[in-house]
Formats: sequence, C-alpha cells, structure tokens
Amino acid sequence: MERALLGFAAALCVCGGCVTGIMEGKVAVQAVESIGKNPDAADKIQSMAIIGAAISETCAIYCLLVAFLIIFILGA
Amino acid sequence: MEFQTTILSIIIITITMALLLFYINKKLREYNPLEKPKGIVLLVIMFGQMIDKMVKEKTNERVAKYLTPYIMSVVAYIFLSNIAGLFSLETPTSNYSVTLVLGALTCILIEVYSFKERGTKGYIKSWFEPLAPFVLVNILSKISTLLSLSLRLFGNILSGGILMSVIYQMLGSISKMIPLIGNLNVVGIIIAPVLHFYFDLFSGIMQAYIFITLTISFIGKELPNQ
Repeated sequence: MERALLGFAAALCVCGGCVTGIMEGKVAVQAVESIGKNPDAADKIQSMAIIGAAISETCAIYCLLVAFLIIFILGA
Repeated sequence: MEFQTTILSIIIITITMALLLFYINKKLREYNPLEKPKGIVLLVIMFGQMIDKMVKEKTNERVAKYLTPYIMSVVAYIFLSNIAGLFSLETPTSNYSVTLVLGALTCILIEVYSFKERGTKGYIKSWFEPLAPFVLVNILSKISTLLSLSLRLFGNILSGGILMSVIYQMLGSISKMIPLIGNLNVVGIIIAPVLHFYFDLFSGIMQAYIFITLTISFIGKELPNQ
C-alpha cells in the first residue's frame, strides 16, 4: 500500500512537466517565426531561444528530480 | 564512506582526455601553418574557431583570450563524459558531485569577472543593489544560479541513464518470450541503438552546448556593454 502511494506521488510530480513541454514548444514556435521574419538575426535568435528553453526546462527537471528522490530514497 | 562506482569512470575519462590532449598538442606542434590542415588538426582548429566566435559574440576580446580555453576544456570534458554511456561506462555527469563542481567553477568565474570589472568598492556595492535589504535576494539568486546549472546537467543525464536501464530490462523480459535464443536479449540489440543515439549522443551534445552557452552569457552579463 505504502509503495503504491509513493509511486502515485512520483507520477503526480512528473505532471509538472506537461506545462513545461507546451511552453518550450511555444519558445521554438516563436523562434522559428521570428527567424522567418528576420533571417539575418538567425544566430542571435537561435542562442536566445536555446537559453530560454533551457531555463524554462529547469522547472521540469526539478519535478523529475523530486520524482527520483521519492522513488529511490523514500521508496528504498 | 562507500565507494561510488562512477569514480572509476571519472578516472578513465580523465586519463583518456589527458592522453588525447597530449596527442593533439604533439600534432599541433608538428603542424606547418602554411599547409592545408587535415585530419584531427582540422577538427581541432574548427572547434576552436567555433568556440572563439561564440565567446567573442557575448564578451570582449580581452576576456575571450582567457575564457575560450576554459570553455573548450569544459565542453570536451562534458561531451566525453556524456557519451561514456556508449562505451558501457557509468556516465560521470550522473554523479551530482561532478556537475556541482562544474557549476561552482562557473559561479566562481562569474564572481571573479564581476570583481575585476567593478573594483573592490563597486563589487561590494553590487551585493546591496538596488537597496540594502536586497542583499538576501542577491545571495539567493547566486545560489539558484549554481543549483539550476548543476541540476540541469545532472537531471538530464541521470534521467537518460535510468530510462535506458529501464528499457533494457523491459526489452530483456520481452525477448525471454522467444524460445531458444531468448536469454540473449535479442530485441534489445535491435531497438536499443536508436535510443542510445538520442539519450547519449543527442542529449549529451545538447547539454554540453547549453551549459557553455549559459556560462558565457552569465559571464557576459557582468561585463560592460561594448
């Protein structure tokens, strides 16, 4: 019973990644759109988009880490 | 204190990288600048030019002279350790100590450049900006830089490794259903390479790139605008 609850908690944790996935897709969409409008600035936009995506990804990684902690430390 | 298994692969990676650097150094010394570069020399020159361009875009010439070699060695180390999973070693970057050290080095560099640019008085003042009570917020923001840099690399590589081992177990139990040769994990041999390509190669290169891009832009933020 306890183990099942822990698994459920870990699964709930990872749900935080959903929003991050959508928003990171949005970053990519905006980057592609602005490169289409202004192809000369492609280099700058690319590095900005990667930094933006990487920083917003941090949230999802924290969710994942908490899930790992629950599974491997509480569940062990 | 228990022995961590990643220490062995850290030692192997470090020795490999040292030998590789000695070899490249020897090749570069023999290289005649008037000739056309080829082989590993060409690769190293292209890599150096790429990193140099990236650093110069965000910082100035003076900083780039010292920052480029550091960035090059960091990206080589992270790349080698991320793809260690391909050679059936445990990836060193899935040990939090390694990524914490890499993140701490970046944070120290940020502080050093901030100190150099602003002088002693300006540096102390920068901790109390814009008002004196904001010192707590400033301290928290420095800690969060360290945490996010190191945890990003750690989380990505660790999750890749765990997913790979889970997939291997699953494929192993599927291939047990095949009679006679089932115990050899036949299905794993067919399906796993594609996933290795994504989890080890692609995300390894991507994470190394993101790490250095963030390092360069955090340092570039401390410098005055050209």
